[in-house]
Amino acid sequence: MTVQPHEVVLRSTGLVKRFGSIVAVDGLDLEVRRGEVVGLLGPNGAGKSTTIGMVLGLITPTAGTAEVLGRDVRVRREDALAGVGAMLEVTSFYPYLSGRDNLAAIAILRGGGALARVDPLLARLGLAQRGGSKFRTYSLGMRQRLGIASTLLGDPALVILDEPANGLDPAGQREIRELIRELAGEDRGVLLASHLLHEVEQVCDRVLVIKKGKLIASGTLAEVTRGASYFEIVVDDKARAAQIVRGLGVKEIRETPTGLDVVTDPGRGAELNRALASAGLYASAIVPRASSLEDVFMELTETEAPSAPTSS
Amino acid sequence: MPWIMLVLVVVAAFAIYFLIWASTQAQIELIRSGQAPQQGGPTIAQLQETLLIVTPARVQDFGVSVVAGFGSVMLIVFAASHVGTEFGWGTFRTLLAHGASRDGFLASKAVSLVLYAVVFMIVGTAAAIAGSYAVSSVAGLSVGTGVDLAEVARVAAKSGYTFLPYMALALAIAVWAKSAGAGIAAGLVVYFAEGLVATLLVSLNRDYAQIVNWGLSRNASALTRTASGQGGPATQDPTASTLPDPTQAAIVLAVYTVIFLALAYWRLRSRDVTVGG
Repeated sequence: MTVQPHEVVLRSTGLVKRFGSIVAVDGLDLEVRRGEVVGLLGPNGAGKSTTIGMVLGLITPTAGTAEVLGRDVRVRREDALAGVGAMLEVTSFYPYLSGRDNLAAIAILRGGGALARVDPLLARLGLAQRGGSKFRTYSLGMRQRLGIASTLLGDPALVILDEPANGLDPAGQREIRELIRELAGEDRGVLLASHLLHEVEQVCDRVLVIKKGKLIASGTLAEVTRGASYFEIVVDDKARAAQIVRGLGVKEIRETPTGLDVVTDPGRGAELNRALASAGLYASAIVPRASSLEDVFMELTETEAPSAPTSS
Repeated sequence: MPWIMLVLVVVAAFAIYFLIWASTQAQIELIRSGQAPQQGGPTIAQLQETLLIVTPARVQDFGVSVVAGFGSVMLIVFAASHVGTEFGWGTFRTLLAHGASRDGFLASKAVSLVLYAVVFMIVGTAAAIAGSYAVSSVAGLSVGTGVDLAEVARVAAKSGYTFLPYMALALAIAVWAKSAGAGIAAGLVVYFAEGLVATLLVSLNRDYAQIVNWGLSRNASALTRTASGQGGPATQDPTASTLPDPTQAAIVLAVYTVIFLALAYWRLRSRDVTVGG
């Protein structure tokens, strides 16, 4: 996956939202370009949904701006949102209408030929057979699919998906991942907020990790995970090995059942081996490991938020 | 819900016409057969006079007031539900996320409520007219010159106009509380309690009319009293002579409607829309 230098479809600058004394979003800058999928990650209460709410004009920012296709959402909300398809975390439609009629209602609101996209989108999301059934009879997975279908009615340049795979079985989750990549392939920008880190890992070109409303890491997956690569050292005398490794200036050492995990630059394998051997400690194995996004996410979000992003 | 309410008002209009006829006729038969006490009760002549309210010529007095009585309660319920359920279902948030404007949302709700109130009054009044002809036919009453359609329309329009501030109040409370239930409760409490308190206060001291005549119920009563020249519930009000001037009443009701809508508008515009709306 490569990031292409396409038009910016979403840009937020210094977004801040305070609810009384609580700072939900704290000076968030983000950017989504056409053709890329950007993952928005963070633990519960990190400010993901509030950020999406501000981008959609549902929540008024305390400070900062959000622009869609260059249009300030606060100043030209309806114009800006004409280019956005959004699916919120809780998918809500009229329970007494069918899936098709719910889409038709939104299509009428959208205008511009959206009505003609209703049936093709139902088919694309696998709802053609149940399009005539009332929304209240839909399973959680079907509701999610209808929510995703609704985002595409207006042929948007930016698609915002908040937890789109909620309630989907593994096959459904895979379909949604494929669909998200297809959307990027159609030159749309996609902002994906998700708790499913393996999902983000598979579909996103870039990720933004936020905690307590602050951006704590951003970049491509390679950039974000690089800083947290580590060596798995299998050794008997863990205490002495840890002392030697610490003497090399390594700050983060985790004890494991078989030895140590040493978080340091991936190019220091030989140095570690030499230091241990010089001290008469012979490791059974020194294996370079690349942290998964999940490892990085856990590591980043379990520590206090720094004042600046780790990379950008 | 809208269809159910229309069916209900049609059924209610017919049922009340038939009940009035049936109960009055039963009393007349009892008196004729000597089974009813003569002293203190109504005479046959009085009951036959009462029976005339079911004739088509009296639809503007009786039929419209029956429809208005049901309509006021039903339309308060409908107004609150029409808006409140959008928050309960989370569809307000969905609509906004798809580009709908808050102003447009409220305007469309307000316009559709007014249109529904018009349809409700038309259907209800038509049912009352039909009920009147049906009962007159069954009872063998003379239909005379029939229904004065222009007068019925004028009275129905005035009665329908008095619903507006109550509907706007129910809507505003539903917006503020994000709940249909709160809108219904507030609308019905104000509708029943304010009228009761106002009548009680004026009954105790007519000077209180100077104050309560700025409320909703007294102005609504003033308008419905003059809506029909002869009948309607307002004319039975012993404090009717202290009711406000009809023109003032119409203006006060309009001002209340605007204030309630403005409050709903202000709240809707300024609110952050999180989960549920």
